[in-house]
Amino acid sequence: MNGPSQPTIAAAGAVAGHPLRPGFRGFTRVLLRMRALFALVVLLVVFSASTPSFFTSNNLTILTKHVAITAILAVGMTFVIIAGGIDLSVGSVAGLAGMVAGALIAKGILFGHMLQPYFPRVWVVVVLALGTGALVGWVNGILTARFLVAPFIATLGTLYVARGVALLISNGRTFPGLAGDAARHNTGFPALGQGRWLGISFPVWIMLALALAAYLVATRTAFGRHVYAVGGNQRAALLSGIRVGRVTLLTYIFSGLCAAMTGLIIAAQLESAHPATGEAFELNAIAAVVLGGTSLMGGRGSIFGSVAGAFVIGVLADGLVMLGVSEFWQIVIKGIVIVLAVIIDQSQSRLQARFLRVG
Amino acid sequence: MARGKNRFRCGAVLTAFAASVLLVGCQKGNQTRPKLMVVIVPSRDNPFFKTEADAAAERARQLGYAVRVDAHSDDSYNQDNLIDMALASNAAAIILDNAGADSSVAAVRRAEQAGIPCFLIDRAINATGIAHAQILADNDQGARLVAQEFVHEMDGKGRYAELLGKESDTNAQVRTRGFHAVLDRSPELVRVAAQSANWSQAEAFQKTETILEANPGLKGIIAGNDTMALGAAAAVKNAGLKIRIAGFDGSPDALAAIRNGDMQATVLQPAVEIARLAVDEADRFLKTGSTGRPEMQTVACDLVTRDNTDDFEGFQRKK
Repeated sequence: MNGPSQPTIAAAGAVAGHPLRPGFRGFTRVLLRMRALFALVVLLVVFSASTPSFFTSNNLTILTKHVAITAILAVGMTFVIIAGGIDLSVGSVAGLAGMVAGALIAKGILFGHMLQPYFPRVWVVVVLALGTGALVGWVNGILTARFLVAPFIATLGTLYVARGVALLISNGRTFPGLAGDAARHNTGFPALGQGRWLGISFPVWIMLALALAAYLVATRTAFGRHVYAVGGNQRAALLSGIRVGRVTLLTYIFSGLCAAMTGLIIAAQLESAHPATGEAFELNAIAAVVLGGTSLMGGRGSIFGSVAGAFVIGVLADGLVMLGVSEFWQIVIKGIVIVLAVIIDQSQSRLQARFLRVG
Repeated sequence: MARGKNRFRCGAVLTAFAASVLLVGCQKGNQTRPKLMVVIVPSRDNPFFKTEADAAAERARQLGYAVRVDAHSDDSYNQDNLIDMALASNAAAIILDNAGADSSVAAVRRAEQAGIPCFLIDRAINATGIAHAQILADNDQGARLVAQEFVHEMDGKGRYAELLGKESDTNAQVRTRGFHAVLDRSPELVRVAAQSANWSQAEAFQKTETILEANPGLKGIIAGNDTMALGAAAAVKNAGLKIRIAGFDGSPDALAAIRNGDMQATVLQPAVEIARLAVDEADRFLKTGSTGRPEMQTVACDLVTRDNTDDFEGFQRKK
């Protein structure tokens, strides 16, 4: 990444009389790499000690349900960022997917000359909404891989388009009554957000399943290695025969799918779809990914870290609310935490560079 | 040597950590905690919602409750999370100015099913029999009142524009209906533009600039709330025009604008009274098992013009 600057830093370290002590480095490195986890433990202890109702099974159930939303987005975002991209459209895609599901359940589909709309089954609704997310992801991928639009710009564009389409679907209104109608055979949608299995809510199961699958893909498959390679050095990846365009495209499609999933979960929880849902979610997702140790420059990062990062953000948000901290301070604190994470990220890469030079 | 230093660092971190935990732990050494009342409003950077939240919090503290004020930023998902957390905090009651008539129903139902009564203020939801009370300003009466004054200011004729509130908010719909129940009786009053500015001052400013550009000779603007009316007033002032402007809410800024002639009329929503009423009913319900009132309740609004701006202050009539 910022190659030229690193030798100077390493040299400065040596001049300043910091011979590379293995112990110090080892401890600091563990602390840095697991920073999201450490931050999480600290937050959990502080909030549990200060708020009696914080560390209760009831609250932790609710908390993980909230975290799931950010975590699912962050899992999709991690692949995109590791591959050297960024996906700003996820919040809008969540809103759009919710509206697609809302329209299908509340209004149905009207084909050609039909007098009565057709109401698809819930699983069809879910598939179509997820498909919408994948479609936006595909567009993001094509824009960046084929037309070489900078990812920031391409996904900023789709952010606006997806939000606009979400508003157009209902003319800005909310679709109420997503519980469905037994006569139309489309009940059961709310379970996606409200249902539980073994005492754990569905969104959390979805998060776990997605995170596990993503972890396996990232660490155990050729595709996973290719994602890291593309983000690490695109030209090298290209020269070594990796289909860079295809890898990029797939990361955006996966991110779109994850975003659509969160939109569906939120619509199911609220039993209604609102076109403004998901505003600024992309920032939470990016913050979680960065907190989790993934480099915004690409080539480095982990799924596990992003999930831990999502937990940090979720615990911080809920804990501050339960403590009764004013929402204005909540915003300030969140901002500080994110900037701190990036500062740590910088020092980590510096440290790593130093380590590499010596090793 | 290196190892020793490392261990020292580890130890220092752990000690600091333990100390902070102890410190935090010591702060709560109190006896029986008072019951918690959670007040959830759209935001606290808007004077109306801030007044409403402060009034509810103050009354609840007077009645011996612990109070927490949260803001959902008009985001129903946010509101859903805040209601979850009120449940997790074992709140005794929730005072809620909701984030959307349709999208709030499920959240309110969940709280009620968990045994936490909800008392809605300022905005209704599209369902009855779920919340314990829905206490609103009489938006219809208020809208008719300010529309009458607007007709009077316009001398019953001329071209005007309307700025509407957020579509998902029932109050936006009730107010525009109330306006038109009065305005449409004057055939010489012509509405030449109608735009939603989503309750926002910045958006109203931009929309008004465009409307003024497209409609020379505009004589009046009626807005669904004061924030939008003030945005419109700023745009009108910028354009160097003289246009009659009416709003809704009775915010301190609007009263000041009426005093110096930038706006002509507004109606004051009794935010303080509504918030206190909701807390009182919540308290009564918790103590006796009944609010003693029907679910749907309205409180009348007061017309504010240049003649009586000094009678009001902070969303209530001066004592």
